Amino acid sequence: MTFEPKILGFLCNWCSYAGADLAGVSRIQYPPNMRVIRVMCSGRVDPVFIFKALLTGIDGVFVLGCHPGDCHYLEGNYEAEKKFMMVQKFLNMVDFDKRVRLDWVSASEGKRFAEVVTEFIESIREQGPSPLSGENMDQELFNNLKAMENSVSSDRIRALVGRQRKITEVENEYGERVPIDEFNNIFDKAIHDEFVRQRILLSLSSKVLSVKDLAAELKLDPSEILENMLTLKSRGEIDYQSIDGNTPLYMRI
Amino acid sequence: MSEKESEDVRIGVFVCSCGTNIGGLIDVKAIAEYAKTLPNVVFTEDNLYTCSETGLTQIKNGIKNHNLNRVIVASCTPRTHEPLFRDCVEEEGVNQYLFDFVNIRDQDTWCHQKYPKEAFDKAKDLIRMGVARAARLEALENIIVDATPTALVIGGGVSGMTAALSLANQGFETHLVERENELGGRLKTLYKLFPIDLDAQTLLDNLKKNIKGNKNLKVHTSAQVKNIEGFIGNYEVVVEENGINIDLTIGVIVVAVGASLLTPTGYFGYDGKIRITQHELESKLQNNEVKAKDIVMIQCVGSRNDERTYCSSVCCMTALKNALIIKENNPESNVTILFRDLYTPGTYYEDYYRRARETGVIFIEYSPEKIPIVKEHQIKVHNEYLGEEILIPYDLCVLSTPLVSNNDNKALAQMIKVPLEEYGFFLEAHVKLRPMDFATDGIFVCGSAKWPVDITESISQGYAAAARASRIISHDTIEVEGATSFLPDYNKNLCTGCEVCIKICPYNAISKNEDDEIEITQVLCKGCGLCGATCTNHAIIIRHYTDQQILSEIYAYGGKEV
Amino acid sequence: MVINSRSVLIIGAGIAGIQAALDLGDMGIKVHLIEKNPVIGGKMAQLDKTFPTLDCSICILAPKLSECYRHPNITLYTLSEVNNVEGTIGNFTVDILKHARYVKEDVCTNCGDCASVCPVRGVPNYFDANLKTMAAAYIPFPSAVPPVYIIDKNTCVYLNYGICGLCAKACGAEAIDFSQKDEILEINNVGCIIVASGYGLLEDVSPLTNYGYGKYKNVVTALEFERLICASGPLEGHLKRLSDGRDPKKLAFLQCIGSRSDRDKKYCSSICCMYTTKAAMISYEHNNDLESYVFYIDMRAGGKGFQTFLRRGSDEYNIKYIKSKISYIDVDEDDTPIITYEDYDTSEIKQMKVDLAVLATCIIPSQGIEKLADILGIELNNYNFVKTNPFLPVETSVEGIFTCGCAREPMDIPRSVAEASGAAARAAEVIKGG
Repeated sequence: MTFEPKILGFLCNWCSYAGADLAGVSRIQYPPNMRVIRVMCSGRVDPVFIFKALLTGIDGVFVLGCHPGDCHYLEGNYEAEKKFMMVQKFLNMVDFDKRVRLDWVSASEGKRFAEVVTEFIESIREQGPSPLSGENMDQELFNNLKAMENSVSSDRIRALVGRQRKITEVENEYGERVPIDEFNNIFDKAIHDEFVRQRILLSLSSKVLSVKDLAAELKLDPSEILENMLTLKSRGEIDYQSIDGNTPLYMRI
Repeated sequence: MSEKESEDVRIGVFVCSCGTNIGGLIDVKAIAEYAKTLPNVVFTEDNLYTCSETGLTQIKNGIKNHNLNRVIVASCTPRTHEPLFRDCVEEEGVNQYLFDFVNIRDQDTWCHQKYPKEAFDKAKDLIRMGVARAARLEALENIIVDATPTALVIGGGVSGMTAALSLANQGFETHLVERENELGGRLKTLYKLFPIDLDAQTLLDNLKKNIKGNKNLKVHTSAQVKNIEGFIGNYEVVVEENGINIDLTIGVIVVAVGASLLTPTGYFGYDGKIRITQHELESKLQNNEVKAKDIVMIQCVGSRNDERTYCSSVCCMTALKNALIIKENNPESNVTILFRDLYTPGTYYEDYYRRARETGVIFIEYSPEKIPIVKEHQIKVHNEYLGEEILIPYDLCVLSTPLVSNNDNKALAQMIKVPLEEYGFFLEAHVKLRPMDFATDGIFVCGSAKWPVDITESISQGYAAAARASRIISHDTIEVEGATSFLPDYNKNLCTGCEVCIKICPYNAISKNEDDEIEITQVLCKGCGLCGATCTNHAIIIRHYTDQQILSEIYAYGGKEV
Repeated sequence: MVINSRSVLIIGAGIAGIQAALDLGDMGIKVHLIEKNPVIGGKMAQLDKTFPTLDCSICILAPKLSECYRHPNITLYTLSEVNNVEGTIGNFTVDILKHARYVKEDVCTNCGDCASVCPVRGVPNYFDANLKTMAAAYIPFPSAVPPVYIIDKNTCVYLNYGICGLCAKACGAEAIDFSQKDEILEINNVGCIIVASGYGLLEDVSPLTNYGYGKYKNVVTALEFERLICASGPLEGHLKRLSDGRDPKKLAFLQCIGSRSDRDKKYCSSICCMYTTKAAMISYEHNNDLESYVFYIDMRAGGKGFQTFLRRGSDEYNIKYIKSKISYIDVDEDDTPIITYEDYDTSEIKQMKVDLAVLATCIIPSQGIEKLADILGIELNNYNFVKTNPFLPVETSVEGIFTCGCAREPMDIPRSVAEASGAAARAAEVIKGG
């Protein structure tokens, strides 16, 4: 049986949802693989939603908003774009970024709506079913995406992506602004670190482990694990549980 | 029927056939049957045309007979009929926000005509998602605040006076605040007004007379706005008039502070004596002081260049007007206008241009790459049309300079929390569709404060701002849809005070109060959801599009909770 | 909540009429909005994008159309014209001639089944500048308001010959009603009237033979070009030479066609410099190989952001501006337009072959304005626009009758919207002030 992708679309009320309606009104045909969640603005799409969708085994997630400059709420789509780019950075770490897409469709672009949706569906079809769907779910991937979901839910990551535009695009009182490269350096590191930390927390949620255990499980350098665990400890999220010989074992608090 | 998950929720699902538009491709009866198996669904029905009188009655009967407290209609698109169905359920006692719409026509049967089985499956999925969402919907009331029927107009020039008069004529107590000791703005120093050469004083006197005679209009001269707090319908304003502070409670605010003149220091040897501005020329003309015989005017001085790319739109007509006055006073005089593009659009202005040409004013085009050189008694210009350089003798050189934004726009903008654009003019909500509004509701802008405009447009914009403002204060209350952002008391402890929400709101609806707590001004909220999607600690809730509601749809489609 | 029983009657439901209606309706004043076409939106609905923001026109217009349609204080009369006006300010009585639509407005579900079975094809669709055809049962464009189909009484075979009637059989909602007749509706207690009848186009009244319009396939008017580059238009936005379907490489935009002219209209059409730049930009967005040449007299761009827009055009969109008014067009054997122009720098007369020539034709007063002015008793100026005093910009010669937008003078959308609100304010003063 050929694989039929399961696609979830977030469509904004004023542009992309209206464009989808126009496609229908104009009887423009496209494949029936997408189910739509209507939001008022693409800026409403919390990155958590995208990860949750992928975790349920949905094969592809599509966010469609207004063209830059046309957002009904003035700036929503710009924020959506920043959040989406962040999601891609995370997914890139596990080679999963091609299962999500962000695009712009206006209320008058019925044909374009059908085209971009068809193209996305085909791209997902080529990539095959999500390893998180079906009988033999890839647990490792699941854990990774769960850690990512928790990362984009964390305050530090949310603060960075929420402030990104103001910091990098608008001058402050002193006429200063942070260059985008500088911001990205900080942001990219934060993304990586938070992901590692959330992975550690996830692993420790069901068992106690040592730094070496975690390094082996996560396939990372023990020094990197240790650094992040110290941060987690200082945040009060993990602590020592016991010592096995010379090796401390950690647990979640 | 399946087990009800919650005793409280009773969902009715109405599946529309829309004639054959839906029913012709998929079996709507079977869809209704399927819907009955979903959690919390206690009643389902299929209709031929749910939006018809018959269909609406069926919904009402369903609500009545089965005690429904959630209603789902699966048919065309919420963008057409959601208001209709919302009204319908309200009439039968179900809060309009407990109604949900599932699109199985415009986004299903109409665009998957070759895939009836898949379209059927899609409809089932969409209804399953809709039911999951509906179970989590909450009744909401629209937000209502009082609207004080008073207006504040900042700036007593022609635009401000027009706006204030119109509002006062409509019956609203209007306060007109002007920082000079007399009303009039630029009108006080203008001589004649194009395109009918009306005496500026006549227009001004007429406006002042109407203002004086209007009992609703309170004029504050030698006055400035010192502070503005509050929000639409409820501004607390402090005006300092002659050193005394006056407290006003204001419903709407109109910014009409006009623009300033550019002094072209450094351009073309400007000296204010024989190389002067158009404005200086007007004073001289008014006092009959112009004795020059050879007058050369230069357009676009300090505008349409790299520093200031814009066209100030009034300077060409001003030059023509003054040229005509000079010619009228002294038909023997030589008047030459050096221009780049002559800006006389429309009917009146193009006629005016013709008139100027007919009186013998000479027009010479110059290009920005070859700017005229103004020497002691001659101007060297590369005549684009001839392709040659010529020398024009002059005893008076008049520089047409642009209107520029006021220096104190920034301070005012900060006080009211409205934006400025790159040249310091006030930035409206949308340059095409909401030209008089700011993005922040309740505040409006008109005239040259927004962009250089002539008197005609200053007047029509003044009226326009009055109309936009009147819409708000014509009613006792202001009502906003209930699907707003909100920070519930039980989440206040989650708020870390990071203020990301404040910065991200496009409508300035979020602020911190005196207790350092985050406050969302409901009446300004447009429900976009940016704050909720960004709140660093998930404290903010977006009503009607909550995280729980959206996640329930995701889980319903994905098939599991994760 | 209606403040006062006196209402405002607005003639014309283009962007200006709609804006005035919404403002007054929001103030709690009852509005009667009269539109001669079967749907509202006017010329703005026909545009692809608008300057200077390059917003999708119908996207920013559609919410206003819906709001108008659903507004509790606005009553919409489409296919309607003002037939007679009696009375004075504060108390006009207006007779409206409402043409039959032959479709029941409150029953039609906008499904389109009637159009798909209608045997009459080839009816020119005014919305697509007559470049596309439709059936006798039609709706001018998909998201039109009111979302109700119309039977064109001129081409419907049932209405003219008593045969067919397939649409009535196909309509599941039983919305077709051939028994409908034109009717006169009387509206009393009208406090004031706003004339927002918009504009017409020169090509509607003038043959433009010098430019080969109508003869040379690759010569089009600006509105036709707008429909050609529109994603929902006849070519779906893929610009082609109309003679042979080849991809165009060079476009010529000819300004001041019939305006600023002693032979045609003396005045300046005011919006064409900007819309031409916009059209060239949109074309370039679809096809980066395109070169556009704009032949102009003066480039008029005084509005907010307009100069920046022009600069972007020449810097980023391969648009070249040539100061030379074009007075005629020739073609070669291949139907390729030849533009004869003056090279300003060298003063030589040159020729340029282009794939499409676009005529920026003068905007003129709306068709029927003379009759309307007669009925209302208002004066028109020497160009037949509604006469106003520049310092009383929205007042006509009759007290209580106001005007705004292109009905009084060529102007762009931001100005039309502002003036419409302005007219609404003046009308509100009459209604509320007593």
